[in-house]
Amino acid sequence: MNEFAVRNRIREFRQTRAELTQAALAEACGVTRQTIIALEAGRYSPSLELAFKLARALGRNLEEVFQYAEKN
Amino acid sequence: MTRIQRRTQVLLALGALGAAGMFLGPDGWFGIDIGPVGAAVLYGVLWLFVIHLAHHSGEVFPEHWSPAEKQSWVALVFLALITLHVGNLLLALPGLGEAAEQARNPATRALWTNLGLLIFGWIVIGTMLRRQDAGGVTLDERDLRIQHRAARVADGCMSLLIVCVVVTLFALPEQSRNWLRPMIVANALIALLIVRALVESIYTVWRYGREHGRDPA
Repeated sequence: MNEFAVRNRIREFRQTRAELTQAALAEACGVTRQTIIALEAGRYSPSLELAFKLARALGRNLEEVFQYAEKN
Repeated sequence: MTRIQRRTQVLLALGALGAAGMFLGPDGWFGIDIGPVGAAVLYGVLWLFVIHLAHHSGEVFPEHWSPAEKQSWVALVFLALITLHVGNLLLALPGLGEAAEQARNPATRALWTNLGLLIFGWIVIGTMLRRQDAGGVTLDERDLRIQHRAARVADGCMSLLIVCVVVTLFALPEQSRNWLRPMIVANALIALLIVRALVESIYTVWRYGREHGRDPA
């Protein structure tokens, strides 16, 4: 059976917005900077609420930021 | 690693030496009773750490640690010390004979003094850390998820420990149970609760550490 994982493009979208640091994104979403680090590294899958908050803070749709893709 | 963090490590190493002397050292070592010396080093280091934390607030712990992770490391250190103290008492109580039945026996009195000092130190350091991190998010869903998993692991361990204790008590022949006095059982139950908290703390710290091991940042 194929295994799936949640992937995200948080780092990519954050870096396209030059002023958005990990700390600023964390503050906008009400989490610690360490959680943003874990998310960007793919070590943590956020709750649905946090996923929406992240997408809103990055100015993107949820599907653009998060993908449910097959594991490599 | 910064100079301040190296100093933190030196303090922790000194504290560990003090604790080792306090709990593991022989009573006599070149004519010195190593127990009180170890205790003096341990409590001296504790107060030096408070001063160190007050002077270098944001630099004592690695920058990539979240506020909840710092608190869980502090909890682990203090819980380990409290567990050693209670374990030490449990080992000493059967040897006290009838005196073990008295709530104010010398071993229990010494334990409460040490526990009081440790809990006071834990409160002081915990409060200092909370003040440093005030204004920002100190606990988020990732921390809560780790804490929830840690609580489940600790509950599982405690259930297993209780089953082991019950089986051991049933398996013991009657004449081997004469050391089981109410005061010893009461202290053993408290020790069980402390061990549960320690397991929770170890798992929490391990989970955070595992995440760092995989984080590129």
